[in-house]
Amino acid sequence: MGVERVHALRGVDVDVYPGDFLALRGPSGSGKTTLINLLGLLDVPDRGTLLLDGRNTATFSENERADTRRDRFGFVFQSFNLIPVLTASENVTYPMLLKPQPPGDMQSRAGELLAAVGLAGKEHVRPDLLSGGQRQRVAIARALANHPAVIFADEPTASLDSHTADTILDLMKQLNNERGVAFVLSTHDPRVVGRAERVIALHDGAIEPGAE
Amino acid sequence: MNRLTIAWRNITRNHRRSLLTGGIVAFGFASFALAGGFMAQSFDGLRDNAIRSGLGHVQFADVRAFDKSEETTLQFGIGHTSRIMQVLSADPAVEVIMPRVEFYGLVSAGGRSIPFAGIGVDAEAEARGSSIPGSVHDGQWLNPMIRGVVIGGGLAKALNVKLGSSVTLLATTSDGTLNAIDATVRGIADISIKELSERYLALPLSLAQDLLIAPDTVSRISVILKKPAREPEAAARLVEKLNQSGVTLGVKIWRELAVFYQQVRMLYLAIFGFMGAVLLVVVFLSTANATLMSVSERTREIGTLRALGARPTRITGSFILEGALLGLASSVAGAVLSLLITFVINISNIEMPPPPGSIKGFIISVQIIPSAYLTAAVAMIVTLALASFFPARRAAHAQIVDSLAHV
Repeated sequence: MGVERVHALRGVDVDVYPGDFLALRGPSGSGKTTLINLLGLLDVPDRGTLLLDGRNTATFSENERADTRRDRFGFVFQSFNLIPVLTASENVTYPMLLKPQPPGDMQSRAGELLAAVGLAGKEHVRPDLLSGGQRQRVAIARALANHPAVIFADEPTASLDSHTADTILDLMKQLNNERGVAFVLSTHDPRVVGRAERVIALHDGAIEPGAE
Repeated sequence: MNRLTIAWRNITRNHRRSLLTGGIVAFGFASFALAGGFMAQSFDGLRDNAIRSGLGHVQFADVRAFDKSEETTLQFGIGHTSRIMQVLSADPAVEVIMPRVEFYGLVSAGGRSIPFAGIGVDAEAEARGSSIPGSVHDGQWLNPMIRGVVIGGGLAKALNVKLGSSVTLLATTSDGTLNAIDATVRGIADISIKELSERYLALPLSLAQDLLIAPDTVSRISVILKKPAREPEAAARLVEKLNQSGVTLGVKIWRELAVFYQQVRMLYLAIFGFMGAVLLVVVFLSTANATLMSVSERTREIGTLRALGARPTRITGSFILEGALLGLASSVAGAVLSLLITFVINISNIEMPPPPGSIKGFIISVQIIPSAYLTAAVAMIVTLALASFFPARRAAHAQIVDSLAHV
């Protein structure tokens, strides 16, 4: 008996550029989620360097990491992770509350974002009364709240039926094209891979040679 | 949407748990407020008893009388009482002046002789400023024109005398000789302290001065003020006026003389403080469990909020706000509950057994003390905020990826 040391990622070297639509592909346990968590500053690497605009993020304080996530990143989760006590509009507004701005601006932006993801009229509905696809749309609108440069989406279609997954992916692609926001998606869904401009294949924590 | 709205929605998302936690806090609040109200009522009763038992709000005597016991009758007596009374009664703050002669002697009736603690009083002034006339349950209070005495129920029993019985009072005069007078029993007083009841004997001031052969002399002068809250100022002013008229007297306000009141007050405060501390610990432990469950259930949500950019301090602050808000709401409920219980207690006339040293029970009564309500509310809000702080702080500083993976 003993403790076996497992490297979730080994020798991974990835660049994310403005306007990217990048898919991280690979089977379960390949390191996709770990990589997306590291890129999104949700986790800290044991070794290696993560640069953001040339700055080593290892030097960031806890608050600096939080502020970076708030101001420059958005997140979409497999299980949507909406706040159940807040309405659709309030869920979208929440990240804006973290960055003080006039209440009127926040409300109008939340309405605009919900309309952009096709949820006009659902502003005052709580998540438990929305379908899976609608919840994911709210999550996407929330990710866009603070004008992020990059949205990280971990298995965004895994909890959705085929048709809804297609619609959500089309929406992401549309937002990528229209707003220039970069998307980094982890997936093993071929539909995601099919829409991606760049694909990085991971296997056992390493990038498969010649996969990009 | 603001942080308060979010906090309130989080409180109400699990109705049953919040109601249970709020119920504990409300009962804790009620216990605190009711105990405070009962204690305040007791303090007020004790204070009034002390003042109306003859201490007055302010008391004047020979400076030595406050520190030493007299070796001979009226050793520290105050002469020229009439002039002093004139000066005191001229002050607008003075309501009643009660000159008193205190002495010891022997009272005899039908061959029995028993020591007594005598007090010569201005019968009319005592009727306005003291509770003793009201304690005469058999017969009448003193009349300065009649050679009658009022004795404690215990003394009447020991002497085997009734209303109208003749008694002989024997005492040492101020110049050391013995003197005796005859009087009739005019009233029997219900004195709640047993030992005092067996020794108490009141007689008109002039009769006491005749017995002690000490005209225009008293032991002390108690003064009832119109505005009791300004006792120290009144005492200082009255002493100054007496000094200006050539009389030098010592003065004490009732708090300095009411030893029993001070002892009971300190005892009550110590008991109340201890019980309050125990109560807060119980409330803390009871609510901490509920808070811990609430935080634990929302671990994933905490991870999500942190991913969105919320700093750990903001998340901890949100939980503290929820705790404080629940504490506030529960305190409001506790205040309503306290008012209801206070009302029911006060109309129920619940009689309590006699306190130690007393022979008379009392009707339990609870006051509404705003400061006790405020203290209870602050204590409950802080307790709940603290109960929220520790689990929230730990959860807010956990690894985000661990929180997001929490099931």
